[in-house]
Amino acid sequence: MPEIEFNEEDVLIRASKGDRDAFGQLYGRYIDRIFNYVYYRTGNLHDAEDLTARVFQRAMNHIHNYTDRGVPFSAWLYRIAHNLVANWHRDRSRRQEIPLNDVPVLPSRGDHPERNLVRSQEQESLLRLIRRLPPERQNLLILKFVENMSNAEIGQIMGRSEGAVKSLYHRTLLALRDQIGDQNINLDGE
Amino acid sequence: MTQRKNKVSEDQLDVIEAHLAGTLKPVPLSNDVIQRLHERIHFPYREEIASRLRDWNRMFLVFGGVMSVLLLVMTIARAFFHLVGRRHLG
Repeated sequence: MPEIEFNEEDVLIRASKGDRDAFGQLYGRYIDRIFNYVYYRTGNLHDAEDLTARVFQRAMNHIHNYTDRGVPFSAWLYRIAHNLVANWHRDRSRRQEIPLNDVPVLPSRGDHPERNLVRSQEQESLLRLIRRLPPERQNLLILKFVENMSNAEIGQIMGRSEGAVKSLYHRTLLALRDQIGDQNINLDGE
Repeated sequence: MTQRKNKVSEDQLDVIEAHLAGTLKPVPLSNDVIQRLHERIHFPYREEIASRLRDWNRMFLVFGGVMSVLLLVMTIARAFFHLVGRRHLG
């Protein structure tokens, strides 16, 4: 099916003037990405749904304040999501420990159940390690792997240069490698 | 020796990257979630409320409805007081 041309600049202008249909188009375009981002940052489907709704409510209430300063609209949305997730973690840490193992692992199709089980354990271990990383590094990994963004796009969202993102990514991989070694996690699945 | 160490290190990072790619996958949103989110986020803009106020047909119907209900309440109240008042007098 041919995709209808989406002129974000035009849609943003209309949305900032109170056009609900225009905001609906932005919502349709970004709902999946924001939900995925929040989901991987919280590890909880219910809270991800709640926070995603709040991200778009806040965006809708403040879109008239949005000004295009060369930063994509998605960066503005991710910033709102980041702030809400940070508040969520703060509130939760005051009340209780964050469960690190409630992220469901997606099985690959066509694999043997035993192999899936081993893979799930590996993935759970890896997710636990990821969620112990500083928020900035978690953001980087989510944007890179879940959102499939380039370093340049991630840089725009995180307010860093492409080189800085590349460097941070390399340091993140090294940190993960060290933690995997410290905890004797076997990623070979054998 | 250093070259071999670097090679091992790069290989390890490649393995980690491959596992990250396998673990951090987009979670598809179910229709239920999309519907619930849409319902939560959906509320009228000020402009929509203003446009409703400018819709004369709708305003006429609302005004007519309110006046009719008011008239009905007044008629029932009058009938009630008329009946009760008569009984008390008698």
